Amino acid sequence: MSDREFGGADDLSLPKATVQKIIQEILAADGDASVAFSKESRDLLIECCVEFVTLISSEANEIAEKEAKKTIACEHVTAALQTLGYPDYVPEIDKVAREHKQQQASREKKQTKMEKSGLTEEQLIAQQQELFNQANDKFAHVAAD
Amino acid sequence: MDTGGDETHESASGGIEVKTKFPVARIKRIMQADEDVGKVAQVTPVAVAKALELFMVSLITRSAGEARTRNSKRVLPGHLKAAVMGDEQFDFLNEIVSKVQDAPVAGQKGLGLEGEEEPEGKKKRGRRKKAESPEF
Repeated sequence: MSDREFGGADDLSLPKATVQKIIQEILAADGDASVAFSKESRDLLIECCVEFVTLISSEANEIAEKEAKKTIACEHVTAALQTLGYPDYVPEIDKVAREHKQQQASREKKQTKMEKSGLTEEQLIAQQQELFNQANDKFAHVAAD
Repeated sequence: MDTGGDETHESASGGIEVKTKFPVARIKRIMQADEDVGKVAQVTPVAVAKALELFMVSLITRSAGEARTRNSKRVLPGHLKAAVMGDEQFDFLNEIVSKVQDAPVAGQKGLGLEGEEEPEGKKKRGRRKKAESPEF
């Protein structure tokens, strides 16, 4: 990880296989699955993608700094996209961000529920085991018939 | 999927839905390779990944379009370059594509063969070189 200084391509690139899959998906959807990207083109595309991420990050970072925020938030990303000439991307990004936050919320809700029970993890596991045992007993009873 | 011919006008992805997703952790790493970039909220790389996906749809479809105009079944670096040159949104890529040779002028038919504008030595398929087809 320490060779990152000069932007050593490997770590900071995108996985070729993933990119290849995406290329295929897009070309097929575009209506012509017989068209293919040459290897050089794919690699060039990857470079472009990394450049895009860097561009957005840099702009978003500046926007965050102007607001005296230390963490780059989603809003900074959408603002960056507006500034850089990609306003058409914003609605879909907002959607993805909303969905992600919903998932986060329900994850946290489950976590909080566990915490609120006032029991340690061991106690919860013990309780769970107890429930399993009871269920097993019931089952054994029925099966014995 | 038949949302009309204008690829980028209706929705940013022109109705194309991409199922394969970028690894969010990798995106975060690329972001933080910039020393100025500090902390990043958890949702942020997810947002950037989505933007990247839309960007790819745009660049790939345009590049494929450039290839098609030149009657090529293979999308070559020159086609990507043409796509970049053709849209302001891609200005930031000018330097990256500047090292690429230009593709031949669009609309030229009957140049017939695939990909001859690639720099020498890169062709792995070299069918032409082996002079297998006598009618050449």
